[in-house]
Amino acid sequence: MGNKILDINNLNVDFLSEGASIHAVKDFSMHINKNEIFGLVGESGSGKSTVIKSILRILPAPGVITKGEIKFKDQDILELDESELSSLRWSHISVVKQKALNSLNPLLKIKEQIIDTIRAHEKIKTKDAMERCNALMDLVEIDRNYLNSYPHELSGGMKQRVVIAIALALKPELIIMDEPTTALDVVIEKEIILKILDLKSQLGFSLLFITHDLNLILGFADRVGVMLEGELVDTDTAEIIKSGGNNPYTTKLINSIPDVSDYSQTKADKNEPELIHVKDLVKTYSRHSSFFSSDKFHAVDGVSFNVNKNEIVGLVGESGSGKSTISKILTKLIDFDGGQILFNGKDISCITKRRDLLDYRKKVQVIFQDPFASLNSIHTVYHHLSRPILIHRSYDKYSKKQRDQMVKKEIIAILKEVDLSPPEEFLYKFPHEMSGGERQRIALARVLLVQPQLIIADEPTSMLDMSIRMEILDLLKSLQVKKGISILFITHDIASACYLSNRLIVLKNGKIVDSGIVSEIINNPKDKYSKLLIDSCESGWFINQ
Amino acid sequence: MNRSWYNLIWINKKARLGIIIVSSFILIAAVGPIFFEDPNAYIGTPLLEPSFVHLFGTTGQGQDVFAQTIAGARSTLFIGLGTGFMIVLLGLIVGSLSGYFGRRIDNILSLIINIFLLIPGLPLMVIIAAWLPPGPFSMMGVLVFTGWAWQARVLRSQVLSLRERDYVNAAIITGESNIKVIIYQIWPQMLSLIMASFIGATVYAIGAQVGLEFLGLGDVDKVTWGNNLYWATNDLALLTGSWWTFVPTGLCIALVSFGLTLINYGIDEISNPRLLSERIVKSRLPNLFNRNGSTPVARELFGK
Repeated sequence: MGNKILDINNLNVDFLSEGASIHAVKDFSMHINKNEIFGLVGESGSGKSTVIKSILRILPAPGVITKGEIKFKDQDILELDESELSSLRWSHISVVKQKALNSLNPLLKIKEQIIDTIRAHEKIKTKDAMERCNALMDLVEIDRNYLNSYPHELSGGMKQRVVIAIALALKPELIIMDEPTTALDVVIEKEIILKILDLKSQLGFSLLFITHDLNLILGFADRVGVMLEGELVDTDTAEIIKSGGNNPYTTKLINSIPDVSDYSQTKADKNEPELIHVKDLVKTYSRHSSFFSSDKFHAVDGVSFNVNKNEIVGLVGESGSGKSTISKILTKLIDFDGGQILFNGKDISCITKRRDLLDYRKKVQVIFQDPFASLNSIHTVYHHLSRPILIHRSYDKYSKKQRDQMVKKEIIAILKEVDLSPPEEFLYKFPHEMSGGERQRIALARVLLVQPQLIIADEPTSMLDMSIRMEILDLLKSLQVKKGISILFITHDIASACYLSNRLIVLKNGKIVDSGIVSEIINNPKDKYSKLLIDSCESGWFINQ
Repeated sequence: MNRSWYNLIWINKKARLGIIIVSSFILIAAVGPIFFEDPNAYIGTPLLEPSFVHLFGTTGQGQDVFAQTIAGARSTLFIGLGTGFMIVLLGLIVGSLSGYFGRRIDNILSLIINIFLLIPGLPLMVIIAAWLPPGPFSMMGVLVFTGWAWQARVLRSQVLSLRERDYVNAAIITGESNIKVIIYQIWPQMLSLIMASFIGATVYAIGAQVGLEFLGLGDVDKVTWGNNLYWATNDLALLTGSWWTFVPTGLCIALVSFGLTLINYGIDEISNPRLLSERIVKSRLPNLFNRNGSTPVARELFGK
């Protein structure tokens, strides 16, 4: 066995169904050496989670392992029985999951959760267990007092540290981390990764790090594997993968890593009139802290900005910064508590009548983040695209047959415009019959059919796989130029905002911390937060500092 | 999702058995009474045991039990299914308005729903049934009045969650009217819940209706399953040991409820993928499957 701690050979995993089985993982082979960091990269649905669940044999029905061996040191995990498996799990191999909140029991104190984990495998006195808890908390640098807290009293980053502490509790030789930082913002992500690297050098475990973020993993992994449709298509040292890898797919992934230096050079015409003007916008939510009192939480706290005609403005912020609230306010899905919004000089809070609202909706449209959620799974493309036409054009004077023909013609024209060809084939498809990129194009077509003046694009690419993000961004840009629409591009990814926008606004905790022309912000950020966001686009940025 | 939903239900064994049971009773209810001129006719000696002349024997009044069992199906199933439909319709309308519009409308409608949930159902049912003139529509009215609130509450919570979906917001922003959003975007997505509610309400309606009639609160001149049981007790069936006067009717009621419940289980399996996938693994790998166990290793399935 030598140096290998985990050695997977020809692993095959099927998902059984009533018809033919689905081969989720095909002839997957890889190994991890002692004290090594192996990064497993793949887009959603590529099978990376299936692989790690198979390693621990925790893949739920209908998953079945059909071939291969998974050697942990000298044991083949696939040959172990239930009791051998439960003594292997956690004490030799542990897992850190993506959502720390879901891994912690909200009803138990932190120390109870750590002690429970230890006691599941070892007989230990309470006093000794407490000592182990204290040592673990010191290890992940959390104040020992938090041992008596409940998970909701900790911040997102602290919760993830606690989960890492629990994963370390039994000193496993291999830790599997499944997107441990995806739900965290860049500042916390940086802290957590540095902490993981620090712990690794102290304790000397091996690490299998799963992520969709190639840019992140290239910064600290020793070797990287790339998965595509259930197969490991490429595996090599991080340096070779970084320089393009051994497979065209790897090269494509490397090339689609967003780069802030590739920013939009087109400057918006300053003489264009103002389309929407937001002044001192405030939105507060009340949180019930106890039965009698509630404290106010400012989701949007005095935000002012404007979007001119024929301009793309990027609104950059991380989760919780208030950017989605702004998008909901601008589309009048929710009301706001203070400030003023002028659209074409008119105050939008005056819109109350249905006719005025319909008129406003005709001018302001939204593209949602998740194209699978924004299209109704039981309706066809034809249904989705015929509704805006029937609502906003006065076709009532025509007969039903004429109307149907006109609608169909218009839908085919718009499908061509969003590069879905041949358009006739898409007419009667259901959302689940299309890929994520195709679905997002349909969502874009629906918006364009209304012929709006302003499109609010709320993270339109974040749910898409990296390789098709660029295509959608380019499409947005070309359509914007062609139709002279304004776009408010809302995103957490500053690189794609730079690529697309004329101007940038950086939002943090409901406040604007930086704004200006893209080139100014890139080369000379006024705020340290926007500098951090820009730095985070560089691979390995947090280590080089 | 290549298969249509009725196909999906049909390939599910539980649902298929349920559909066969329920539809054969509906068939009996529809055509059965044609063969019996008058199930109330006095055709023989009272309390004859089952024989080839009278398959299920005769009642204490000398009526044919077989004819009465068949004839009772029509009224009982009509009221049961009709009431189930009305309850779901009312529950769907109230629940949708409440869940979709929220705020004040939700407060008012939820208050009404809660009041109806708090009223003790059985005594109210008995009082109203005794007060109204007996007849199938009074019976339906009583059952709907006392039974709609629970379904409204269940359907409201589903609307409440679907209302927050992006496709609903997208439809609103496209300019769709609220009623159209509810009917075309929200209702089709909760079809399986609506079906399950309908079946649950029907089971409730059949049970409650039989109970009321058993107490003599229905129209005792009509032949229904509840009345069959009422007359059987009236004629002291248990004391005289004439089991055949109530067992056939009781079995029919149990079978219909069983069939409906099976359909509900089937819908549950179809709409809950976890149950379905566990069943698939269990049927393909009966020796390896263990609900809380580790992922099975089945090398014999490789390449299949």
